[in-house]
Amino acid sequence: MAVRARTLEQARELYRTNWELVWWVFMRVSGLALIFLVFGHLFFNNIQVNAGDIDYDYVASRFSRSWVKVYDSFLLGLAMLHGVNGLRYSVEDYIKRPARRFWAKVGLFTAASVIFVLGVMTLWAFTYEEMGEAIRALPGG
Amino acid sequence: MYRGREGQWAFVLHRLSGVAIALYLLLHVVDISLVMYGPDGPFDRFLAFYHKWPFRIGLILVMAGVAYHALNGLRIIVMDFSSWGVRYQRILWYLVLSLTTLIGIPVLFKVVPEILAGS
Repeated sequence: MAVRARTLEQARELYRTNWELVWWVFMRVSGLALIFLVFGHLFFNNIQVNAGDIDYDYVASRFSRSWVKVYDSFLLGLAMLHGVNGLRYSVEDYIKRPARRFWAKVGLFTAASVIFVLGVMTLWAFTYEEMGEAIRALPGG
Repeated sequence: MYRGREGQWAFVLHRLSGVAIALYLLLHVVDISLVMYGPDGPFDRFLAFYHKWPFRIGLILVMAGVAYHALNGLRIIVMDFSSWGVRYQRILWYLVLSLTTLIGIPVLFKVVPEILAGS
């Protein structure tokens, strides 16, 4: 919500703390980067391969490569920020009552944070090639 | 309805595709995170469910949304940062729609036979 500045001092204060402008710029810069990242992601995983053939072995072999971890980390971070901020725009536009709008944003940011941590864990917390072998070596595995 | 011309439809489609992609992204991170349970976890069973044809068609729609959102995002950047973008926004939008279709056709030729063969 924009606050109307009545004096030059207030206008300067608004300018110094204008987070909406920061997000406005971010949406354009991250959008440009995401075009390449997302098109690449879709090409690797939906055009080069049949998406219907994707299984554990395919995903685990991808996540055991360093460049995939780095590539997917940029994709995850930028897409989450760009996407969740876009969802926030929709909440600001369509939920009119301030209390409901506030709690909708609390819910959105909480869910997004949990899912982001889940994504980071998926990318960085496991060595899939070792995990696969170790689990297969277990009795009955 | 506000004016109802090309500019508004460009916005409506941009928002719809954006919300759809964002919700898909959240779901996608959660489902891929199931690989953390290892090769004997629920991942393959869950993916077999996702590979059924209604979800594959949904995936085509998400990809179409991505193509439109990306190209119309470029249109927005051009409108914001060039001196001529707003003047030609209507032509640019038809260019966005044409390019989305142009990208979409070879994707359909690749993916639709896979779906027909798999179901």
